[in-house]
Parts: sequence; structure tokens; C-alpha cells
Amino acid sequence: MAGYTPKAHEDTGTLGEALILEIKPNSLDDGRGIRTVVFFKGCPLDCVWCHNPESKSTRAELSYDAKACIGCNTCLEVCPAQAIDPGSPSFVDRARCTLCFACTVECPTGALERVGIPMGVEDVLARILPDKPFFVTSGGGVTLSGGEPTLAMDFSARLASRLKAEGIHTLLETCGLFDLKTFTHTLMPFVDEIFYDIKIMDAGLHRRFCGADNRTILSNFAAVLNMSRNGGPGVLPRIPLVPGITDTDENMNAIGKFLEGLGCRRAAVLAYNPLWPEKCLKLGLKVPFEFEKEHKERTWYPRQRLSRAIEILSGYGVEAG
Amino acid sequence: MGLAEPLSDRSVFRPTQIMVTTLLRLMAAAYTWRGSLNRYLASATGWIDFTVGIRTESGSVTAGISFRQGRARVEDRVPEGADVILTFTSDRAVLKLLNATPTEQIFMLLKSELFYEGSAAYLNCFFFLLSVLIHKKQKKLMLKERTTRSRQLLKESPRPRTDLSEGIKARAKNRLAAESRDPGVKYLDEPYLSSYGIEDFPRLQRFLDEHFTTKAEVCPELPKLVTEWHLENGFETDRQGKPWNPIMRKALAFRHLMERKKPIIHKDDLIAGTTTTMPIGVVVYPEGHGTMIWSELLTVGDRTLNPYDISEDTRRLLHHTVFPYWAHRNFREWVRDRYGKPLCQRIDERFAVYFDWKQATISHTIPDFPKILRLGTKGMIDEIRAHLQDHPHDEEERVTLEAMIIALEGLQAYSRNLAKQASIDAAREPDPARRAELEHLAKVCSQVVEHPARTLDEAVNAVWITWVALHQESTNAGLSLGRLDQWLQPYFEADMAKLASEEERRAYIKHAIELVGCFYMRCTDHLPLTPDLANFYFGGSSSDQAITLGGVTPEGEDAVCDMTYIFLKVTEMLSIRDPNVNARYHPRINSDTYLKRLCEVNLVTAATPSMHNDEVIFTSLSQFGYDIRDIRNWSATGCVEPTLSGRHIGHTNMQMMNMVAALEMALNNGYHPVMKWKLGPETGSVEKGDFKTFDDFFDAFTTQFKFLIDQSIEYNHMLAEAHQELRPTPLLSSLIDGCVDKGRDVTKGGAVYNSSGTAIIGLADVTDSLMVIKKLVYDEGKVSFERLKKAIDANFENDPALYAMVTRKVPLFGSGSEEAVAMANRIAKWAHDYYQGLDHYRGGKYTVGFWSMSNHVIFGTLTGALPSGRLAGKPFTPGLTPQPIASKSLLDNIRDVAKLDPMNITNNMAFNVKVVPSAKDTREKTIGDMFSYVKTYFDMGGMQMQMNVVTSETLRDAMAHPENYRNLLVRISGYNAYFVTLNKDMQLELIERAEYGI
Repeated sequence: MAGYTPKAHEDTGTLGEALILEIKPNSLDDGRGIRTVVFFKGCPLDCVWCHNPESKSTRAELSYDAKACIGCNTCLEVCPAQAIDPGSPSFVDRARCTLCFACTVECPTGALERVGIPMGVEDVLARILPDKPFFVTSGGGVTLSGGEPTLAMDFSARLASRLKAEGIHTLLETCGLFDLKTFTHTLMPFVDEIFYDIKIMDAGLHRRFCGADNRTILSNFAAVLNMSRNGGPGVLPRIPLVPGITDTDENMNAIGKFLEGLGCRRAAVLAYNPLWPEKCLKLGLKVPFEFEKEHKERTWYPRQRLSRAIEILSGYGVEAG
Repeated sequence: MGLAEPLSDRSVFRPTQIMVTTLLRLMAAAYTWRGSLNRYLASATGWIDFTVGIRTESGSVTAGISFRQGRARVEDRVPEGADVILTFTSDRAVLKLLNATPTEQIFMLLKSELFYEGSAAYLNCFFFLLSVLIHKKQKKLMLKERTTRSRQLLKESPRPRTDLSEGIKARAKNRLAAESRDPGVKYLDEPYLSSYGIEDFPRLQRFLDEHFTTKAEVCPELPKLVTEWHLENGFETDRQGKPWNPIMRKALAFRHLMERKKPIIHKDDLIAGTTTTMPIGVVVYPEGHGTMIWSELLTVGDRTLNPYDISEDTRRLLHHTVFPYWAHRNFREWVRDRYGKPLCQRIDERFAVYFDWKQATISHTIPDFPKILRLGTKGMIDEIRAHLQDHPHDEEERVTLEAMIIALEGLQAYSRNLAKQASIDAAREPDPARRAELEHLAKVCSQVVEHPARTLDEAVNAVWITWVALHQESTNAGLSLGRLDQWLQPYFEADMAKLASEEERRAYIKHAIELVGCFYMRCTDHLPLTPDLANFYFGGSSSDQAITLGGVTPEGEDAVCDMTYIFLKVTEMLSIRDPNVNARYHPRINSDTYLKRLCEVNLVTAATPSMHNDEVIFTSLSQFGYDIRDIRNWSATGCVEPTLSGRHIGHTNMQMMNMVAALEMALNNGYHPVMKWKLGPETGSVEKGDFKTFDDFFDAFTTQFKFLIDQSIEYNHMLAEAHQELRPTPLLSSLIDGCVDKGRDVTKGGAVYNSSGTAIIGLADVTDSLMVIKKLVYDEGKVSFERLKKAIDANFENDPALYAMVTRKVPLFGSGSEEAVAMANRIAKWAHDYYQGLDHYRGGKYTVGFWSMSNHVIFGTLTGALPSGRLAGKPFTPGLTPQPIASKSLLDNIRDVAKLDPMNITNNMAFNVKVVPSAKDTREKTIGDMFSYVKTYFDMGGMQMQMNVVTSETLRDAMAHPENYRNLLVRISGYNAYFVTLNKDMQLELIERAEYGI
């Protein structure tokens, strides 16, 4: 199967490249029509529940999938750092691993995989453009997601401008933590629609669970919403419902009030998905303590809590779905 | 087993030999001395005389039994000149056969644990005589097999998922309304007809219920009347001893049949006439493959798949009168006798490489219905008479034209009898409403088919009555109905124009829907005769009567009309497997509204219609020099194959060709592993390193393929001759343009256009295998060919790392790789060019298609592991669908298939896509997504697409709880079937197909 061709250099931003996690075609759930989603690697936030933990770090990472491994030991032979330890449950000795990714090239099953490929705008375009006819018939396009696309603002802007030149609809999914001025001048002109995450209103809790202050995020939201009313891209606030963290009545009321204050009448709520901790394990990361129980039980998000969130928002005149 | 050693010394103790001869002696004694059994050896004209030889390959068993003049004799050698010799590959196989169910016995045959040479008819007769002795035991075994399986399935999923089964049914609700009206739609205000549901048509609901609860029964009428005529009038020579002209003989026998055929008006029906005398009748064509059911006469009602009832009278008729008369007078045996057991036939009868459909029929075509609607039989006969007068004709031409007249008289006689019957039924009918319908039918049948049709009622009845007659002449397999929406629209418009009030019009539209609904249900009144063996090759298939809708007119204008939407409404409401609905779509001419409706019908029915791109089909057909107006008038035949309506004998399913066999033979220097037969030419050994370059190996593959094609075509020609001798088709010829002008039957090339079409199986599997060899062995040099070959021979069990590499590191067809697409095009082009260069016996060309019916499953079963990573015994992909592992993105699949060059695909393709709507989406969004895929695929130049809209989860539930899914329709590869009637392997193949959420 055609995979990425890894290159010698890595990390975000070098040589006008960005670290791309995945380019996922044929998505029907990330905006209207048939879309290709470009997942960027690296995020300024550090949300404990992050559904894509592999997208947080701005560096390429090595992932190991024990289920796919057939124990052929090819990796043992090619690893120059002796970082492979088939005896240990984590398989890779992360302290020794130099992230040279020689093992991922030779691994026949893909059990060892490189997470994050540096790509240029043209590389990304080449992967997207064959699907353009599907965007045209379905009214779809490209979604920039992550990670956080604005962390590679310049790259995102160049990519979005090329897409617009091709007549392709662009959608940005963002956490909102960016420099407003740069955003307004570089990326925003080439974006047709924005899905903007609103997570936690309480500043302290936001710092605790998301690893950063939320003031910029909220003020940026107000500004982007305002620009949207003056001919800028459409904005849809999205609220991830994380049990006990974001979906508390208190937080939902605060978000409702915030949106009401800005005259924002529409929002999307995203139900929590319990499968993400699997991904942590593959990267050699620990499952955050808050989620250990859920990880074991794999409880799906209850419908009643979803309805409750929608109900609270509607109390503020915000229609959510 | 020591017994497998060659044994020449007859004094050696040979237990299997002793057992076989002892059993045969018991059999012989029973049939010779027991009166109740001895009568089984009697035929209508004397005795059934034949000889069977039985042996093992090692020579450990040699025996024979002969039946002569009502006496059976056993020898302990294979008799000289035996009609058929049964060879077992081992002693163990002999023992296994004795304890096997009939289905297991067939599997042994397929897997080459035994094979036969010589008369299949007598082999079947021999197995029938055996089953007379042991059928009670066989039935017990069959019952056990069935109950064990359903118990097992119930154990795996004990609780039915009613949410899933109800979910499928609920799709008939929330119907969309049309956003616009196509220019050809004259009278429908809302073309989707969303206000109508099946609940508005209680008559159709009753018919549906009948359809799903009636067990098919073998009908004696046709074989009885035809055999009776021949016993009286002779076959090779007439009563005066003069050789018969085959077409005259056929015409007279046909007229005899039609005059005496019981005229039946099905209860409550709006359409007169039935194919058989049974509610659902299985038709036995004795000169076709009728005798193939001989061995199953006692057990066919108990088999798991496709069981039929058969009465004691019918069984006797077939065994004593019909089959003995036709034992040599059928296509297959005629070839065997005439050409002395040719190699090409022996290959076919090993079942692993190709299957030639001419053994059953040649009638994959579209009759000229507009002609009989316009002229009636009377007008057609007048036209032929005028032709006879006005043009000089040689004797053959004159006889041919006279035969057509006689055949048309036969059809006419049947419709007159139907008119009489309708009057008789009306007189007896107590219910006044029904009496009025019957009186109306009596009038309709006195008008058609004799005179031109004037109304929609008359036109639909004329099409059906003609259809019944055509199926008395030719086998009910693949004969297709053509562009019924186009051909019926003028009658619909004429009727509507007469109606003044809005209310009358509304009522009439409802009547038109009901009438077409009745027509669909009529099409289900017959089934092809399927020997159990064929259940593996064409599992769940009915007679594949294709209807074609939409597209453009011969002049190139938008052809979508009122009747198109009426047919689509009926397709949606009934959700039945036959007729097989095919929809044409022209990307630059037909509307989005129409294409969206096709998607909606596909969603509701889960599997139909199959969708075709007119523009691309036109491009493909343009290479044959056909008139562009005729190309624009194409219809699908059987599964998907293009035929130029009414003037083309394209025998589009001449053969099913297993291309993967050629690959296996190239990997094994001409040897076929399952058949254990050094069949093909020596093209080089992988182990000896004979292939220096990839092209060396590609040449070996094409050399083996060429060998198989040549053999299959030779067989095709021999069978074609058999058709000319045994079964000319004067009625069909009168309905195919060109035959009257030339004074020639369709079997001899009378049609304006002639061709034969192949269905090649395994394009994706062969492409991927060659890609693996090219990339890993030659381009990258990562793996030696020998290592790859060793891994294949061991089913990859010895080399998991190589297996992982093969399945993950090579760009496959459907992954978005230009190189893989180029490989697929290279293979398709080679096949196209080679077939195209062959001489065709009727003139014209051989066409090449890439679809598989259900052959991809059984051929897969008979094939070892492949370089592509497909494991031994696993199905190939259906049609030319990419492997599920090729890509996670459906778009890659769609783009790659759309890139196949249509110039190489002249007999169409089957691209199967399984999509699954999300429960939370609205109907608009689901249809919008389906529409986007199809529309883009067609815009990119894709030829054909068929979608199964059902989850694997639902299919699993249906496997365990078939009672909740009696009408769950699935698309196999080209045709539809009810999922619950499929064999286990086919069900699993459908479950394992890649599934894409929408």
C-alpha cells in the first residue's frame, strides 16, 4: 500500500514543511460533503482527554502496535541504538530510541510506525487533488485539523491559499489559541468555514485540564465571530463533552451564557469517545489518571448527558446538535 | 495409504476393489431381479441401456456395470466402450463418496477427488439409480447437515437483532420527493411517486407473499409435450425417414407445444399467461441441460440450496420418457459424440478453469418487442410472407422463413387460448370486480399478440405473452427484456391523453404502477433448472431477466420518462431479485434528479438497480462499427452486458473464464494444482529461475491464458454447431432484426449484429499478484521469486513476514496507484486484443467483460494461495472490485476503477461497493452521499457500479435468523439474490467485502 515516504529531516516548520499526522480522504463527518482532512501534528494545548494524543507533540514519534507485531525481529537487526526490547511490554526503550525510524522502514507489518511526516505544501496538495472531483459533486472540500493547524500558520495559509486557487472549499478546525493578527492576515482570508472549540469557561479549570490559559481563546472567538458577521468565514463553536470535566452543568451554563452574550445561536456538541487511551499506549504514554477507569470499562457516552447538554444550551437560545 | 500404489498383480488383496464390485453386484442383482426396481430400467421406447466404468487412478479399483435390455451385469474391469468412466484419485475418495451427502459428492467432483470422462447424462442416470437404493440414507444425511448448520449459527448469535431487520424494512418510509421534472416526464407531477407505498397495492402485497412462501416445483409440461411430439415425428429423420431440417422440426414441435400448453390466468392477476403450470415452475429443457438433474430426481426437494418439489408423476415422466430420449440429443452430449470427447470439453467438465454457457443456452439477448407491439403476430407473418414472395430465396432460407411463420402461429395460438380461458374464468367468477377484470383480459388477449397493441394494458400483456413463448423455445437463463420504459411510454401517453379529469389521471397512474408490479411478479413465476453443482457457480440466481431503464434515445436525447419512474417505483416497492433492473445514466444528458432517484431505490432495496454510464459504454462499443443509433439503444442482458436491442445476438455470457487459473498454471509450468493435471504448455519454472525479467513471467501467464482461451473457444464453436443442429430458435429469430432479411436463424448469424461475450474472473486478484511479483521480486529485489513461490505453496504459513510485506508494502489495484492501474489495463488489453483477434462462427467479434456471477467464490475455493496474499480457498474479489486491503478510502477504489480503459471492457464489468448509511443521518444526506460517489465515478469515466447498502452486522444476523430477512436482496456480481438462499461461502464473501460508512 502506498504510504508516506519518510524524509531525512523532521519537525515542524523546517524548509517550509509541516509535520503532518495523517491525510484522511473520504470523510463525511468533518464538515459538509465529501472531505479530505489534513491532520497537523503539534498542539499548543495539552488537554487531558485529547482524542488524538499522537497529535499533541510537535515532534515525530514512534508508535508500536503489539497486536500487529508478528515477532519477526527484523527491527532488532536494524535498530542502531539497541532500543528494541521484545521482552518488555512497551517493546521500545524510549530512553534509548533516537527516533531515527529505521525500524519503521523495515517493519513488514507496520506494527512499528512513524507518527508525523514532514511534508511540503505541494506534497500535501498532490495527495488531495486527485479527490477534487468528489468535492465538486458533493459540495465538500478540505478540512484542516489536528493537532492545531494554526501552529503551522504560515504553512496552513499557503496550503489554504492553494486550495482556494483550485476552487476547493476550506474548513479550519481550531482550538483558538493563536495570534489573532497573524491569523487574520495570513490564514483567515483563505478559509471558508471555521469549527472553533470552546472547552472550559473557568480559567483555572482550563489551565488545569487543557494546560493553558483560555483568555486568548475566548477573545479570539469573539473577534472571529464578529469578523464572520462582516463577510468573514462562518464560525461554528464546538463543545467536546468530556464526562465530569466539560459537561458539568456549571460549565455548560457558562458556555451558554458566553455564546448568548455574543449573539451566537448555533453550536455543535461532540460526544466523548472512550477509545482514545489505546492510542496513548502505542506511543508509550500513560493514560491520564482521570480516565483510567473509563479506559478499563470503555463506557460510551450516555445519551442522557448529551441531551442534557443540548437542553442547557437551548436555555440560552443556542441550538446545538 | 499403501493401496494408492500402482497395482498390476491381480492376485494382490484389494479391499476397495472387493467392496466396489460387491456393492455393484448387489446393485445389479437388485435392478435385475426385483420387479419394483427393474421397472426403473425401462424407457418409453424400450430399455435404458448404458455402461459405467469405475476405477482409481492407481488401478487399485477397476470395475464396470452395464445395463442392457433390463439386465445389469458387473465386471471387474473397466468395460470396453463404456459410456462414462468414473475415476477416483484414491481409495479413500471411494469410501468418502459412499458416505457423503449429494452436495458433498459434488464438492468432491469440484475438488477433483473424482472426475468423469464420457456421458454426463448417463453418469447422472447412474447416480439416480444409486439414489433409488440409498436416498433414504441420503435424505437423513442432508437433514442432519442442515440442522447442524442452523444450530451452529443459532449458537453463535442466539438473539435476533430485530433493530437491524426492522431497520432495513424502515427504509421504505421517509420517501424523498423529486426536486425537478425531467423533460421526458409528461404526466407525473412528482416523478419519485413518493406518495405511493406497497400498502397502497394489496394485490401486489398478496403476490409478494405468495412469492416468498411458495416452493418452486419442477414442471412437466414442456418436456412432456416436446418429447411426445418427437416420439411421434422423429428427431434426426421424420416419419418417412427423411432427414429433418432442424429449424422446421423445431418450429413444428414448438407450435405443438404452444397449441397444447395450458392457458392459465393467474389468480387475481392483471396479466394473462404463465411460463409453466406451477405457481413457481422450474423449466426442464431436455435438449439443453435438463438431464443434469437426473441424479437428483429423488433428492432435489431436500437439498439445502434451491430445493424444488417434484411430483412422482413428473419424476417418472422425466426418468422413463424424457431423459432417455434426450440422453444423446442435448448440446453437451452431441458435442461429445460428434467430436469424440474433445479436450476442450474435458477441461470444462473439471469445473476449475472455465464454464461454457452454451451447454445450457445461447439466448442472452434482447428481442425486438417494439416490433410485435407495432405489428402483432399477424402483421409479422404478413411481412414474412411478403418477403418470401418478393425476394429470391434458396431452399434453406425458404424453410427458415416458413419455420418463423409456424413459430409465430404457435405464439398466436397460445394468446387465443388465453383469451378463451379469460372468458371461461370470467363466467365462473362470483366477484363482480374480478369478473370485470377477466372480461377485460379476454378482450386484451383477443387483440394481442395477434394484432397491434393500442393501450398500456395490451402492450404489457403482449410483452408477457411473447416472453412466455420465448421461454418455451429457449432456456430461461439471461434472455432479457430490454428498454421497457421506452417501449411502453407511447402507450402510457396515449392512454393518459384520453383522460380528461385530474382524478381519472391519478387513478390511471396508480393502475399503471400496479400493472407494472404485476409484470414484475409474473417474471418470478419460473426458475431455471439448477443442478446442485450449479448452485456453487450461480448461487441464488434466478433467470436474470434484465430490464433496462433511462439513458438516452437512439437520437441521443434524454430518454428518462414517466414509465422510467413508474418502473423505479415498482422496483423500490417490490424489492425482488427478478427482473434484474439496470439503469443507464448519461452524465451530460440525464438529470441529477434521476440519478438521485436511482440512489434512493438502491438504498431502499439494498441492492438494485445496477447503474451504467452511457457515455463510456458508447465509447467501448464504438470500436465495432455499429450504427450510433443502435449503440444508443443498448440494453443490459442477463447481468450487465450490453446488447443492441432487437438486432444483436451477442451471446454475452458465452463463458465464465477463470483467469486466475492461467496465473496458477504459469507459476507451476503448465500444471494445475487442484486438478493435478499438467494441462498447459511448459512456460518455465520458478524454481529453476527461468524468469529473468518480469516480462518473461508476464509472457508465461499470457501463454497459459491463451491456451485456456483457445480451448474454451473451440468448445464454444462445437456447442454453437450443436445449437444449430438441435435447437434453432425460429420465434426468437422472427424478433431479431436481420433474420427475416437474410432468411437465416439467429444461431447461424441471422441477426444484424453478432458477437459472443466472455466474463473474465479475477482481474483484481491477477493484477495484485503480478504487482507483488513485479515490485518485490523484480523492481525492488527484496524477495526471491523462489521464496515467494514457496510461501504460496505453503499458503504463507511458513513466512508471516513475507505475508505482511505482500499485503502491506505493495501498491494494489484500488489503492490509488497509477502503476497498479496500468497493470490492470495491461492485462485487460491483452485479453481484449486476444479475444478480438479470434474468428467468430457467426461473424462479429468476441467481447470481453469483467464480472463474475458467483464464480469468484467457487473458483476461489478451487485455487491455492496467490502472490497477492489471497489465501488458499478464499474467494476472489467479485467482478473487478479491488481487494478490501487495497485502501481504506473508497475514493481510491472508485478512482482506480474509473481509470480502466473502456476500450478493453466491451462486455461490461461489475464494480461492487458496499456502503453503510449512518443511522443518525437524514434521508437527504444519505442519498446525497451515495449520489456524490456515483456521480463523481461516472464523471471520471467509470463504466458500471452496483452498491450493496447493508452492514456486515445485518448480514450476520440474517445468516443466523433467516426468517427475519426472507426478502433481503444482495448484489452478487451482476445479479441479485436473496441473501438467505445463498450458500455459506457466498454469504461469508459478502460479509467480508470492504464496508464503507456513509
